[in-house]
Amino acid sequence: MIKASNNTTVGACVCVGFLIFVSATGGNRAFGADPNSGYVPKFELDIQPILTARGCNSGPCHGKSRGQNGFSLSLFGFDSNMDFDALVKNARGRRVSIAAPTDSLLLTKATGKEPHGGGIRLKEEDEDYATLIQWIKTGLQRTTASDPTLAGIRFEPDPRNLSTNEDAEVRVLATYSDGVERDVTGVSSFQSSDPGIVSVKSGALRSGPYAGEATIMARYMGRIATWSTAVLKAKSIPATAFDELPRNNWIDDLVIDKLQSLDVMPSELSTDTVFLRRLFLDAIGRLPTPDEVAEFLADERSDKRVRWIDRVLDQPEYADFWANKWADLLRPNPYRVGIKATYSLDHWLRQSFRKNLPHDQFVRELLTAQGSTWRNGATTFFRDRREPDEITTVVSQLFLGVRLECAKCHQHPFEVYGQSDFYGLASYFAKIGHKGVGLSPPISGGEEIFFVKDKGEVKHPLTQQILAPKPLTGPSPAIQDGTDPRIALVDWLLSPENPYFAKAAVNRLWAEVMGLGIVDPVDDFRATNPPSNVPLLNRLADHYRSVGFDNKQMLKVIFSSRTYQLSSLPNASNAHDSRNFSRHQRRRMRAEVMSDALSDATGVPTTFSGVPYGTRAVQLWTYRVDSELLDAFSRPDANQDPPCERTSDTTMSQSLHLMNSSQIQARLTAEDSNCAKWALDSPSEVVLRKIYFQIYSRAPSDDEIKTLLAEQKHQPDRRRWVEDIVWAMINSPEFTFID
Amino acid sequence: MQRRTYLKLGLAGLAGGSFLDLLALRKANAEQAGDGSSSKKKPSNCILIWMDGGPTHFETFDPKPDAPSEIRGDFQPISTNVPGIHICEHLPKLAAIADKYSIIRSVCHNQGNHGAGNHYMMTGAPPRIPVGCGAFVSFHPSLGSVAAYEREAPHGLPGYFTMPSMSRSGGPNFLGAKYAPFIINNDPNNKNFRVRDVELPVGLDQERFTSRRDLRKTVDRMSRFEFAESIDPVSAYDDNYAQGYDLVQTPEAQRAFDIGSEPETTREAYGRNAFGQRALLARRLVEAGVPFVTIYDGGWDHHSDLFGALQKRLPTWDQTVATLINDLDQRGLLETTMVIALGEFGRTPKISTLAGQTKPGRDHWANAMSILFAGGGSRGGQVIGATDRQGYAAVERVLSPENYVSTVYRKLGIDPGKIYHTPAGRPTHLVSDATPISELM
Repeated sequence: MIKASNNTTVGACVCVGFLIFVSATGGNRAFGADPNSGYVPKFELDIQPILTARGCNSGPCHGKSRGQNGFSLSLFGFDSNMDFDALVKNARGRRVSIAAPTDSLLLTKATGKEPHGGGIRLKEEDEDYATLIQWIKTGLQRTTASDPTLAGIRFEPDPRNLSTNEDAEVRVLATYSDGVERDVTGVSSFQSSDPGIVSVKSGALRSGPYAGEATIMARYMGRIATWSTAVLKAKSIPATAFDELPRNNWIDDLVIDKLQSLDVMPSELSTDTVFLRRLFLDAIGRLPTPDEVAEFLADERSDKRVRWIDRVLDQPEYADFWANKWADLLRPNPYRVGIKATYSLDHWLRQSFRKNLPHDQFVRELLTAQGSTWRNGATTFFRDRREPDEITTVVSQLFLGVRLECAKCHQHPFEVYGQSDFYGLASYFAKIGHKGVGLSPPISGGEEIFFVKDKGEVKHPLTQQILAPKPLTGPSPAIQDGTDPRIALVDWLLSPENPYFAKAAVNRLWAEVMGLGIVDPVDDFRATNPPSNVPLLNRLADHYRSVGFDNKQMLKVIFSSRTYQLSSLPNASNAHDSRNFSRHQRRRMRAEVMSDALSDATGVPTTFSGVPYGTRAVQLWTYRVDSELLDAFSRPDANQDPPCERTSDTTMSQSLHLMNSSQIQARLTAEDSNCAKWALDSPSEVVLRKIYFQIYSRAPSDDEIKTLLAEQKHQPDRRRWVEDIVWAMINSPEFTFID
Repeated sequence: MQRRTYLKLGLAGLAGGSFLDLLALRKANAEQAGDGSSSKKKPSNCILIWMDGGPTHFETFDPKPDAPSEIRGDFQPISTNVPGIHICEHLPKLAAIADKYSIIRSVCHNQGNHGAGNHYMMTGAPPRIPVGCGAFVSFHPSLGSVAAYEREAPHGLPGYFTMPSMSRSGGPNFLGAKYAPFIINNDPNNKNFRVRDVELPVGLDQERFTSRRDLRKTVDRMSRFEFAESIDPVSAYDDNYAQGYDLVQTPEAQRAFDIGSEPETTREAYGRNAFGQRALLARRLVEAGVPFVTIYDGGWDHHSDLFGALQKRLPTWDQTVATLINDLDQRGLLETTMVIALGEFGRTPKISTLAGQTKPGRDHWANAMSILFAGGGSRGGQVIGATDRQGYAAVERVLSPENYVSTVYRKLGIDPGKIYHTPAGRPTHLVSDATPISELM
């Protein structure tokens, strides 16, 4: 459910600015090609597009919040007033000189006549140079009410599919309020959602050697257009081969449809034991016990996989495992908000998953929480995120899948959202009142009560205009006087018409168990990051809604699909595909699951301070419990901002820890350890079977038994023989990875 | 080289994002790096002595004997072996070698609490949002993490060590867990000192470790992907083990940790205490090629009993730091090793006594601070900048944390003006003002 990968961060400023290819070779001016035509350029229509196209107002240059060398522009030109003042009024008018236009700093810097940290951005022979001169000479005009305004932009020609290694041209046309349409390709910025599939540079597209999909985005003066394409190879697989593929449910139909269009064959079905281990670790975060493995292997019913899905989802570990995942997204730093409030939130999370609270109700309880942080754990969310803007960032990212953070400070560079959208949404949280003891780090011990105030408003940071609550899409639902505006927001969020909620929610769930979202990162839905399989995402969202947002029922459909049960091993046809679910994603266990798996493998629980002996890592209520193992395998650092970074990569520290840690060595040699027990058992074949069942969740092969029995010659001490085998196994990828 | 590439591919596969995206991103970062702006000199390594809490500038490197007594304090200045430079009387050993280091008296900023001050001085970036005093925050990668990211240490050694614990804001932020500091928390002054996880656990001999290693190969039957275009996360894992074995079994790497092999006279000279032996271990690590070592030296937050505490502390601190600089110099390593001592800020000019306390101290003061900077090819025997006569504010050659951090990056061989891209794709300057302190270059 919670995809807290290293590129998913709640509250992070995720302002995107890479791989934008901006034309630096000048472009067609919007109006008047000939400087002698008597045309008077206007700041908004003619000059700002040049500043954008030349990269002057980009994030690394003058567009960053503190500007560069005292010259500060709004990012991508979203604030014309600010930019005009910066050029014309500030710096004592040296940036533009009407008396001597060519001496204007704007021009001498940009052409490199004066030292310029940003290098040469403009040449005197460029048309843009002439336009700038003309603008200065004609008195630095701004648009007036009678001037045309930009109505929108579009691509030409319409999208089409490409073959591999193909070149194609697209143009961007801007339409103005007077009906005039002009080519702005040269002054637009472009971005490809997957430059490996299709790269783009100023309207020139080029597909790579791989089949796949990409969306090209163009941006011109805050407007966005997209052009979605598929790169296809000549079909090599006959349609009958796809028709004959076994399917368990509609997920498989929709995945196979997509694979067929890309000429990709899925991998084989996973083996029974790989499936069982994967299911346990993905559904409840623990290894199957040796008895469970044996029982599953002995089960001869043809529908045993489905039966075991039900059985596993009913295990009590389900609640702790999924609460631990959600804690990554909601858990605050106890030193900031207080221990009791943090503990209280943890309790609320675990209760929710214990009773399999439907996701819509979960969201409603969280977002409309009132009362004491010591009684209603959900209120801790508002203790931690205290201002409407902070809440908005998290809510949009978690429950809409939209990274709205950018729009807090400037127009979202790749989206339609701006500050009015951000603060309109924030306005729903304007009436949250609190009394009691506020935050006083590092203790913050007190109780705080949350309630709905009579008053409260949010202002647009630039215009200071008070913004009424407004959802991101659709009409604003009326809010009755005296009611909690948050209820109206949640009603909008959960309504069947909401275009985001169900998709964002089911996409998280899918990504948690499939290892990759249909939209990935899971909280970054936008035109330029389209779903890899639109029909699949739509159908999953519909299904989630139709089962009343019941997580277990939803998971069961996914687990039951053949798609989930595919092997991770690629074949010649799908080796290059990692996005379309043609094979399973190999991942290593996350930190807490790893810790618990080691407890089970060695038979000696990991001990944590401040909790009873035997407490499992997924049951910890705070990240502030010392553990070298959990740190090595990465857990969110409550001190960090954003706090929920959890990395899924493997590192040398992890290997060193498993190899050499004295704690692990002690657990291999302890008197009550599994190793001690196994060493007393006999015969050796039986011992090996037990070890393999416990650690690899499978039986050893004859060859494995033979080889390991032969090892006894080198290591006659039986206890040491067992310890060494267990050490070797927990240090091998078959243990660490969920295959 | 191949190992690094490999690890990165593994990361891409696991992160779940587009591998091709990531390659493009890395390429963009690499192109940034290759702009040739860093000097051709051999890059220096760095030993950072982090005086957590904010050391007083008055009682260390910026005494104010002419100020009124409520500012001057109890201690006297002494002259050093460089005419005209005076430091605190309780730092006699450092006073004897003032020609070997510079004192920067004019770095200042506006972050007067620990959380924010730590962040600014440890990363060169002010915190993005206001943070509290107790905060332990990270918005930007720290010096050490960047050093580890940009430079590689030999023999499988990590590129960034911290002893005995990570300093606040000393983490990797968006660079990822791989560039977090390797923490040596055990006390090297202890007779049984060992570095956790890099040596074989007690009771396990080399022979048995080797046979375990062979056995691991035997039991590892997980299929690897046979197609080069599919990224198998297990291949990165295999590399982690290869590198880990390297570290555990390479004598050069292990020797770096073997502080017991130092002659007793050397260990005595550094001071037989945890701080002293950490400094010695830091020297061994940079000697082995580690680019960045932080010694977290806590407890400089002297709100009360400033003079009593420093009278006890300064002599041993003086001995250790002076010995470290001398030792590096005698080994010919000072030219390529920076030794830097600083904290998050200086302390208030006016001495005051907190309610409930009987002995006076000084509070937080970010308008002025002192930094000791030795080695790395910098000229010694100079004082850079000055505070006013009462130590309130930097008034001459006013410098920013950005200038200081840029200096360290340049000496590490890293261009402070380069732009990184976060995993979310956001471009971010390594240091927003990449101007180093020219006197040190």
